[in-house]
Amino acid sequence: MTDRRRIFLLLAPALMVIGGLFLTGLGLTLLRSFRYMPALGLTDPDLAAYVAVLTRPDFLASLGFSLWIAAASTLIAAMLALASALLLRQSFPGRAVISFLVQLNLTIPHIVGAIGVLYLVSQSGVFARLARAAGMIAAPSDFPILTNDPDGIGIILLYVWKELPFITLILLSSLQTLGEDHEAVARSLGASRWQAVAHVLLPMISPALLSASALVFAFSFGAYEVPLILGANAPKALAVLAWQAQTEPDLVARPEAMAMAVITALIGLGLLLATLRSLRHRGLHAR
Amino acid sequence: MLRPVLALLLLTNGTLADTADGEALKAMSWSQIEDQARGGTVTWFMWGGADNINAYVSTYVADRLKAEYDITLTRVPITDAADIVNLILNEGEAGVTDAGSVDLLWINGENFRSMKQADLAFCGYTGILPNDALINWDNPAIANDFGVPVDGCEVPWNTVQFAFAHDSATLTDPPRDMAGLLAWIQANPGRFTYPAPPDFTGSAFVRHVFIYAAGGPEALLGPFDQAKFDEAATKTWAILNEIEPFLWREGLTYPTSIIQLNELFANGEVAMTFNYDPAQFGIAVDAGTYPDTTRSFGLTDGTLGNTNYTLIPFNAPNKSAAMVAENLLLSGEAQLEKAKTEVWGASPAIDVSRTSEDTQAGFVEIVGHPSVVPAAELAKAALPELQADWLTAIEKGWLENVGN
Repeated sequence: MTDRRRIFLLLAPALMVIGGLFLTGLGLTLLRSFRYMPALGLTDPDLAAYVAVLTRPDFLASLGFSLWIAAASTLIAAMLALASALLLRQSFPGRAVISFLVQLNLTIPHIVGAIGVLYLVSQSGVFARLARAAGMIAAPSDFPILTNDPDGIGIILLYVWKELPFITLILLSSLQTLGEDHEAVARSLGASRWQAVAHVLLPMISPALLSASALVFAFSFGAYEVPLILGANAPKALAVLAWQAQTEPDLVARPEAMAMAVITALIGLGLLLATLRSLRHRGLHAR
Repeated sequence: MLRPVLALLLLTNGTLADTADGEALKAMSWSQIEDQARGGTVTWFMWGGADNINAYVSTYVADRLKAEYDITLTRVPITDAADIVNLILNEGEAGVTDAGSVDLLWINGENFRSMKQADLAFCGYTGILPNDALINWDNPAIANDFGVPVDGCEVPWNTVQFAFAHDSATLTDPPRDMAGLLAWIQANPGRFTYPAPPDFTGSAFVRHVFIYAAGGPEALLGPFDQAKFDEAATKTWAILNEIEPFLWREGLTYPTSIIQLNELFANGEVAMTFNYDPAQFGIAVDAGTYPDTTRSFGLTDGTLGNTNYTLIPFNAPNKSAAMVAENLLLSGEAQLEKAKTEVWGASPAIDVSRTSEDTQAGFVEIVGHPSVVPAAELAKAALPELQADWLTAIEKGWLENVGN
């Protein structure tokens, strides 16, 4: 009992931040999404904002777009990270330097990276200017459209660049705790190199890969600043659309903005829960 | 131990409540208000995207307030007044009625309508300001903010009129009217675009097309009319969809903000940009962002003009100091200072003929920037702004019919 109390006391500061700031904000968001805003004379909560949002064609397009950028960035980043982790695990000359380089951009904020992408690969960016100087293109419009494009290529590019080191780092630490013994055992028992990786190593690091990927997915699904800078005017990422509704001059649009935020959060939360369940499921099987 | 702290808190609260009490202020004389404002602070939330405007406020205005009234001016740069409307709305919901975070707000149009809609503005005090006499309230473009009656809830600061800019070295003879512009766009694929509404400037460009499609502004003045809207809107979307394939990137995407369009123009990707404040062209040229050969012009069928204002929120803690600041901003000297090309180049919101002879002479002496079309030239063909309901309907319609 005293132990429990002590733990609770030690956790209290963190709980106060989460409870006081986050949960209060979430609660207010929920209230407003149910169209409860006494300041505007809205006192009878209802679901009208959700109905309005879910029947808005631009919201559905944004939902699809956000799912697309999150899925594509997570998949590409996870595959590249897996490959880099497996390579960086081995010892070779210059490994320290390369592993430093791979992890360097962990410290760079997303927004700085996004502006960097804009400077590099936009139609009047550095690469476009180099291409023009080399006589490969005649005008900015000849350069391929990689930023502010409706397919979100620039956004995916930035997320892959930014999240690859994150997943790599988690995989490397997971690999470190496993050691190399299991593979060596499999090999000595006659498994081919590929079989040792696919049937022994991969299943062992897949929990780390899955949880890291889920975090990356949830983040890129709900983030605001990258699609704001690198996205097109349509379709907008969910967070950008929600902010646009939140700043719409007509105050009556606020509940819709809140409903969008709640739906975004629910999808992210659902995904994380599903990942957690699948991890627990695997854990039981492994035992 | 606690008691003196508490007493101090109560005391400061007491003084806060005094300067925040708008109704009490309205019963005072101007010199009483000045006395109360002395030694106070004003927190001014204003769009911070132009260095010269920031410098004018942080040096000229702030220095004068300090020297003449010992008032400290804190300028808080923002990107969109709508964020601050939200902030004040949240404060109102939370019951913050006399200790809000905003004393003064630079505002107009839809955001002003929102402030009025939710009763968030301090109203009915403008007549107390001595320099109110310099304002021509009989001018409907001053007495109405995007068609919404001002009703003593805000004080005019600048007037602006929309203009287009081009690089005269690459485009010597730009189209001069809307029909010509639309034809030019089709003849020069990829050389023109506009920011997607609800961007403020992009939305204004779409309104020019809307007014053109409606055959002039006359039918659109006054409250929102669905039948008139539908008629003009159908034509507008047809025009905009017709030019879409000839826009930058074949109209598949639009710039999301005026900043992005300005960059496209600076990089030579498009041949024209436009702005609701033509003084910005001169600033960009002086900063080396735009070529020296940049020139600007209005359309012969007219460009939109509007007035922007300063507003004191209902829960501003320092209302008296904010009123003193507003009065100073209105003075002939302050309006002349910001009209100077090298300072800002902003057109006055006061009736210059009501100012002193010295001030009037100062206005006559101002030499314009070669890249900025003179306000008098633009004023020859001016279009009135539409009411806020029209604006939101046009923005919504654009998103559904053009920018999807």
